[in-house]
Amino acid sequence: MNFLSPWFLVGALAIAGPILFHLIRRAARERMPFSSLMFLHPTPPRTVRRRKIEHLLLLLLRCACLLLIATGFARPFLSKSLPVDTATGGQQLVLLVDTSASMRRDGIWEKARAVAERYLAKASPADQVAVMTFDRQVRTVVSLAEWSSWTTDARFASAKQRLAAISPGWMGTQLGFALTAAAEQFQHNTPDGTLPKSRVVVLISDMQEGAKLDGLQGHEWLKDARVVIERVDGNNESNAGLEILDPSGNTTGQENDIHVRVVNAGNSRKEKFRLDWGGGGASSDIYLPPGQSRTFTAPKLAAGTATGKLQLSGDDIEFDNTSYFTAPEIENIPIACLGMEPSNDPAGLLYYLQRIFQPAPRRNVQLVDSLTNAAFAIISGKLPQEQSSAVRDWLTGGKSALLVLNNAQAQAFATLLGLSDPSLTESSGDFALLGRIDFKHPIFAPFDDPRFSDFSRIHFWKHRRWEIPSALQANVLADFDDHSPALVEVPVGKGRLLILTSGWNPEDSQLAVSSKFPPLIQTMLEWSGSTAPVHYQFRTGDPIPSPATSGATVQWQKPDGKQIALAAGAPFLETDMPGIYQVTWENRHRQFAVNLPADESRIAPMPIDELARLGVPIGAVKEQAAATARVQKREMQRTELENHQKLWRWMLAAALAIALLEIILSGWLARRAATVEAIT
Amino acid sequence: MPAPLQANSLRPRPQTGFVDPKVLMAIRNLELRARLVVEGFWSGLHRSPYHGFSVEFTEYRSYSPGEDTRYLDWRLFARSDRYYVKKFEDETNLRCHLLVDQSHSMTYQSVGYTKSDYARTLAATLAWFLNGQGDAVGLFTFDERVRDYLPPRHRHGHLRQLMLALERGPDGKHTNLAEPLRRVSELARKRGLIVFISDFLAPIEQLEHHFALLAAAGHEVAVFQVLDPNEIAFEFERPMLFQDIESRRDVFLDPVTVRAEYQRKLKQHSEQVQGICRNLGFAFHRLVTNQPLELALLDFLRSRSRRGKIIRRRARS
Repeated sequence: MNFLSPWFLVGALAIAGPILFHLIRRAARERMPFSSLMFLHPTPPRTVRRRKIEHLLLLLLRCACLLLIATGFARPFLSKSLPVDTATGGQQLVLLVDTSASMRRDGIWEKARAVAERYLAKASPADQVAVMTFDRQVRTVVSLAEWSSWTTDARFASAKQRLAAISPGWMGTQLGFALTAAAEQFQHNTPDGTLPKSRVVVLISDMQEGAKLDGLQGHEWLKDARVVIERVDGNNESNAGLEILDPSGNTTGQENDIHVRVVNAGNSRKEKFRLDWGGGGASSDIYLPPGQSRTFTAPKLAAGTATGKLQLSGDDIEFDNTSYFTAPEIENIPIACLGMEPSNDPAGLLYYLQRIFQPAPRRNVQLVDSLTNAAFAIISGKLPQEQSSAVRDWLTGGKSALLVLNNAQAQAFATLLGLSDPSLTESSGDFALLGRIDFKHPIFAPFDDPRFSDFSRIHFWKHRRWEIPSALQANVLADFDDHSPALVEVPVGKGRLLILTSGWNPEDSQLAVSSKFPPLIQTMLEWSGSTAPVHYQFRTGDPIPSPATSGATVQWQKPDGKQIALAAGAPFLETDMPGIYQVTWENRHRQFAVNLPADESRIAPMPIDELARLGVPIGAVKEQAAATARVQKREMQRTELENHQKLWRWMLAAALAIALLEIILSGWLARRAATVEAIT
Repeated sequence: MPAPLQANSLRPRPQTGFVDPKVLMAIRNLELRARLVVEGFWSGLHRSPYHGFSVEFTEYRSYSPGEDTRYLDWRLFARSDRYYVKKFEDETNLRCHLLVDQSHSMTYQSVGYTKSDYARTLAATLAWFLNGQGDAVGLFTFDERVRDYLPPRHRHGHLRQLMLALERGPDGKHTNLAEPLRRVSELARKRGLIVFISDFLAPIEQLEHHFALLAAAGHEVAVFQVLDPNEIAFEFERPMLFQDIESRRDVFLDPVTVRAEYQRKLKQHSEQVQGICRNLGFAFHRLVTNQPLELALLDFLRSRSRRGKIIRRRARS
């Protein structure tokens, strides 16, 4: 008989307890309180009786019960012939080679390749080797299956050849995702069905502190997997890098300054640097201690220049000393306002619209009275009937508009929607408030916060009740507290029409004087796609959104002059080098700047403890690990056998039966003793 | 003179219409117990062979001109046409201190109630009895020190306070017999009656000195030693560990071996206390807790009556 948890057998020593109690029980039990012992002197106890064990049967039962419980807990099983361990396979090895921009430093890549080739050369015929590279993405150069498919003689040469074709790129370093991807390459068994001796990821990298470790937290590593770090060092040079920040987010700012983030590596020995646009333009000296990152204002770019190349000087390493800049274009947004009163009439709609769209340095909203080139249209209910058809055609072409029903007799309404009977009625009662609001819709989503979601202070003195025909496929975004719709989205051909059943003129509501009005109109513009913010600064590897949503192909040009034609709407993905990218579509032209991530300049070595803290099994591979795996497997087989037999159940059942017998017997003995005592 | 310590003293005396102590102790209210004993005592007194005793001796004296007319007995004057002065009320106004042992050794019991229950009932009975006669009754309860003190008073509600103080059970650890006697000799300046109720299971080296102080102050002292029947007979059979209730000390004893020696020492101790009392002219009563309380009251009154005669004889001589 074998035991799965033999250390529980130590519990059998507990039988000493009953034996002891049976020896000393009588002496310990009899204690008689008495008022005073001042007249009494102790007499020596007669101990002959105590050496005898009382109630031998009871003692045997108790000991048997304890023994059975201890044996049960030790999980006994009857040993049969266990299968012999067959873990004689080779090693599974994944070479994970860093190809991020920081590996472009002088001599680093050659060192990394030499390390990788050393591992390839050491691989035995039973081993499986995979080669992967990583920067921002992970690429498989040689897979485990591919390695196994090659003949033993050709393996090293083929892998070396593929490795020679690789060179570092311009991307950032996503080390966390790379490690998890490499770990997923491991297969449970070798192709010949045996367990691998060990599973090793060899990480060949400069281990810079700027590497991202996302995705490592909580990753489940295989028990026998290990990560061996082969760090390739540079020449201990000082390095600083820069990155121009994206100015396109600042659409309402008043300044046109260009901000640049400069990073000085932790192991740098230099602190003074110079920023200049090259070509003898303006320059500025900056001071930045090692290990810090700070944002500076770049020197002024020459007037009338749309693009520039900002250079950093003063450090030893060149690859990250250039950052490209593209001046954002001024965004013209023509909005057609149709059927409205004069702009100086406070009782009309236009008077309030004009005050929303204040001038901004990079955005110019123009309120026009024509649909030509208009990005969005705001239409009053007083639109003349003859213009309605033109608006409907314009909408059908894929545009969006807001129709404000400030008049129950809106003739244009039926025409716009293609309805024969609009069935509009004027509301009755004092006023209405907004009731249900769909905060999931993009128009109201920015208000989906308890701080901003209170629309109950806006009184709508008048609104129009509209029975929405089911054929319209309308989407009610908000309704009034009398359950009539307040804001409805209706598809018109390819376009979409928003219908507001009340106006913001003072006669209809307090909406214009509410703080919700400007952001609400702004979200409507963004929803229509007419004011989507355009970014001009990107990092290597970032996709650049297509500037055209419809139309013919879009022509892209990389900094090296390579031309690529893409369909409208398809993002440009080949941002694999820093520089100015150009795009041409529908006789329009735009430039984008792509730069190296500033973190790539932080080339000081990363503390390896950081990886260990995130659960990465770092350490040299030993035969002991494989032996541990074999022991674990054997243990698993023993557990299965024990689970199948379940002898512990019988043991515990027997212990319970004996305990029951013991209770009955001890109860009977106690009663008998009490009876004898009463008689005497 | 109390009966010597004999085995037959442990057996209840023949019942002569008195209340069985077990039945009496089953009543939880101490005041009710006391009332029951006193009233039963009065009703049983008609059949009592003992006549002529009284705590108070009434006396009429002829009125002399110039005396305060407040003490004239006008009823007697109406009957006899003579002026008599009632002197007894003033003379017999008694101040009594009850000293009750509340130490932990008083919690011992083998008859269903403790010595402390018995002693407190005795004290309550005496208090009720004396209060009914118009005497002022005070109380000391003590263990290793004085716990409660109520000065002797005869006023409405005082008896109730006294009962409440007696109802608090024993909580002391040790017994110090000298301390309450020292305190009572300090506090009781006027002559009066002092009733000392204890098991006297404590060293008695200082006892005679303090008793002598009380005697010198002119106090009349009645001493009650309350013992459990098993404390006298020590009727244990098997060897076992005996634990001192007060000190929690364990001693292994074979009762058969030590019984005779124990009884001899207890008797010697008791006789020492008794001798001290006899020398000082104090009344000593040994009470075993299975005896009716009325007998204790009877013994008490008899001893007082005897003492009154002795005093009067001494006064005449």
